Amino acid sequence: VNNRINTFWKSYSIVVVVGVVAVGLSVFAPRFIQFENLMNVLSNASVVAVVGLGMTLAIASGNFDLSVGSTAAFASCVSFSLVPTLGVPLSILAGLGVGAIVGLVNGAIITELRVPAFIATLGMLTIVRGLSLIYTNGKDLYLYGNTEYKILSGNALLIPMPLILALVIAVILGLVVSQTRFGRHVLALGSNFASAKRSGVQTTLIIWGVFAIVGFTAALSGMIVSAQVLTANGRLSTGLELSAIAVVVLGGTPLNGGRATMIGTLMGALLIAMINNGLNLLNIPIFYQELTVGSLMLIALAINLSKGFKLASLFRRTV
Amino acid sequence: MISEKAVAQKNATVDWDVLWERYGITAVLVVAWIICYLLVPNFSKPDNMLNVIRQSAFVGVAAVGMTVAIMSGTFDLSIGSTLGLCAWTAVVVGASTKSVPLAILSSALVGILIGIINGLLITQIKIPAFITTLGMYFIVRAITFIITNGAPSRNNAKDFIWWGNGSVLGIPVPFIIFIVMAVIMALVLNRTEFGRYVYSIGTNDQAAWVAGVPIKTTTMWIFIVVSLFESFSAFLIGSRIYSAGPGLEPDFALNVIATVVLGGTRLAGGRGSMLGTVAAAILFAGMANVLNLMHTDSFVQRVAVGLVLLLALSIEGIRQRLFEMSSRKITKEVKVDKGPVSNPR
Repeated sequence: VNNRINTFWKSYSIVVVVGVVAVGLSVFAPRFIQFENLMNVLSNASVVAVVGLGMTLAIASGNFDLSVGSTAAFASCVSFSLVPTLGVPLSILAGLGVGAIVGLVNGAIITELRVPAFIATLGMLTIVRGLSLIYTNGKDLYLYGNTEYKILSGNALLIPMPLILALVIAVILGLVVSQTRFGRHVLALGSNFASAKRSGVQTTLIIWGVFAIVGFTAALSGMIVSAQVLTANGRLSTGLELSAIAVVVLGGTPLNGGRATMIGTLMGALLIAMINNGLNLLNIPIFYQELTVGSLMLIALAINLSKGFKLASLFRRTV
Repeated sequence: MISEKAVAQKNATVDWDVLWERYGITAVLVVAWIICYLLVPNFSKPDNMLNVIRQSAFVGVAAVGMTVAIMSGTFDLSIGSTLGLCAWTAVVVGASTKSVPLAILSSALVGILIGIINGLLITQIKIPAFITTLGMYFIVRAITFIITNGAPSRNNAKDFIWWGNGSVLGIPVPFIIFIVMAVIMALVLNRTEFGRYVYSIGTNDQAAWVAGVPIKTTTMWIFIVVSLFESFSAFLIGSRIYSAGPGLEPDFALNVIATVVLGGTRLAGGRGSMLGTVAAAILFAGMANVLNLMHTDSFVQRVAVGLVLLLALSIEGIRQRLFEMSSRKITKEVKVDKGPVSNPR
């Protein structure tokens, strides 16, 4: 029984923490519990959660993607620039396509040029950021009056669209990880690359797939942010990679790969969004928000020690 | 199955990889410098070339410390925000006490303190270094914003700005500091107990532990060294631009890591050279300078930095692939020569 409580606590501690924080906030800042504010928190959480879900898959496969912030900016710039010619639905698809292509390039650099994922995506971070600044010439792209694009950030039956998108992606990726061969192979790659390869897992294809999915989710996250303000620019989502990794870590996905929890990542994003919202409601300066992100990560990890993780394992040449 | 011929060939190629890792980037720097000297207008002017080496020092000094960390198989992401805090400390203390030594000392103390916190979290609470320093990146940034209230400070006292802008016998002061620190650290790494511990932890930390290397103490020192060198960089940057505030160069940590990696130090640890780090810092500074002279905008520079990094690091992988392709041919020939191949054990 003790053991069972332990495993239960390990997988659901974040849910308990989220609950406690929610109750605490509604006591100390009564406005927190109002419907509009709650929906606001959920939609803020979803923006990071979307890319965090993709990142969960990457971390479960034993890799990182540091280029997600730049990918988000590039995809939404391309998508916004295409709206006048292609119309909204097609340009959203084009943005997602751009994200997936950047992901595939990441995958190709890792498998074909044998650069460790950390460096490959670090290089792509600066390259893609540069590309999106060149593409927009450093200017903002506006979609004044074209509220059709708001489909990504508006409400559907009072529920914010970003939340629906985050939940859909969480369900899909959750099913992919637990029910499909691709998902099992991703986890196999993360827990032991060499033996996965020897047992016939097509490592190259899996890595390409994982990074394409991460690119796709990064693009979606960038386009949601751009849709909220109907503006895109090359500086969008700077630093998104670090917040995405923070959300995944808070959610309890171990850094050494082999396991993934999509619910945890959703909860991690929700926890950070709730605390930031609470600090705003309590009139605490915005500088304190980063303090909470940092300390939460350290506390979560200190409690939930991921034993056996070695930094060096991230820098092995894959394949 | 690899034939003897292939093994022999592999031994020959490994040498090339090691050579590339150790001296490749230095050779590239020399060749690129000569080409630019001859072809790029205005590059060859002494003032311009001195400016390039001056600029190389600001990332370079921090890269010297980061080389030690990466050689031991870890790194420090927190220096991106520690930079702002240390530079601000140096500027404010320098302005209020009118004493440069006190400015350097206070900024170094802040750096050492953060290094100790990083080291304690990693060695005592055993949080992975990646997460520790990522968390500290957020925390230190927030603290800097809270202390400074978001506003930068200024100090344009002559003796303070001399460190970033002055020259001795025509050579920029920051570059002299950079080279002196690189030489000292290279000696420490190659001649002292600490250096041997760093190498052994980076090569195989379990073997190092079994062999009695004091891993915890060494790790503590490594993180103190990284933060200390980063605080020198912070002081030089503050002195160079007369001011410092929060949000100074948020990408600093990634730039520094890119410089060290371009210099041939393995991210997995155990191998690397200070010479490469120095060459890589000068190469990045020179690249930015040449692109400026050719009137490309700063956006193109970002793309160029990323491309150079990826190119330099993919050379070993490409060589491996070429080798595997050729060795596959060799094994086929062997099969033809000897008829049916017996089962390898």
